[in-house]
Amino acid sequence: MGLRIETNNETTKICLRITGEVDLYTSPELRKAIMKAVTQSSGGVILDLTEVAYMDSSGVATLVEGLKANSDKKLAFSLRHPSQSVMKVLQLSRLDSVFQIEN
Amino acid sequence: MTLDITAVRDFRLELRSDPKLLQAVRKLVYCYVSCYGFSDEQCREIVLAVDEACANAIRHSYVGHPGGIIMLQLGVTRNSLEICLEDYGRTASQDKVCHRTPAPVDLEHMQPGGLGVQFIYQVFDEVRYTAGSDGGNNVRMRLRRPDIEEGE
Repeated sequence: MGLRIETNNETTKICLRITGEVDLYTSPELRKAIMKAVTQSSGGVILDLTEVAYMDSSGVATLVEGLKANSDKKLAFSLRHPSQSVMKVLQLSRLDSVFQIEN
Repeated sequence: MTLDITAVRDFRLELRSDPKLLQAVRKLVYCYVSCYGFSDEQCREIVLAVDEACANAIRHSYVGHPGGIIMLQLGVTRNSLEICLEDYGRTASQDKVCHRTPAPVDLEHMQPGGLGVQFIYQVFDEVRYTAGSDGGNNVRMRLRRPDIEEGE
């Protein structure tokens, strides 16, 4: 399973629905999609992580980069329904309280 | 470095330092450790830690070049899971791989490699990094098996 990223507009926000595994190989693709969404969105970015089967520290670093980029533009950045694997890696990183999480 | 002298070595896997191979390594490690009584959550944590060790070898030891060699050994002693990872790239400085008490969250200066090392120490009971005799790095990770009674 690689990585699939679907882009949907939700009023002024852009929602990226991520499916698959985020690791050293696939995180550059996720980074690119997030940065594109940050550039195009006027209201912020939502990452739907329901179907993320695995995430490593490069994925976490990518999420942090997305958070910072949105914050620089004073836009919202939230994680929607993070899967068990995503929550685990956020908790190990002690970053679970840093992100806005929609459950 | 190799596995503990008392360990039964079940796998010795040589792989290239190519990130696209990590998914296959994760599947192998998950299947292997699930044979030894670890819970699904523990298996996932072990997989994460081994994946991070491999990713660090790719990113830091081989600086992203996909032609390096990584040697992964999986085995068990009477009461522990033993995993060794060896590379022949750049030797990491000890301050990058030593155990630290997790620092307060610092988003500005967060380094993905640093997080990976932190995960490895969080998951395993014992972690030992040493420089290879001809350069490179060895990391040995040990975790008590849950299928063995206390005192055995």
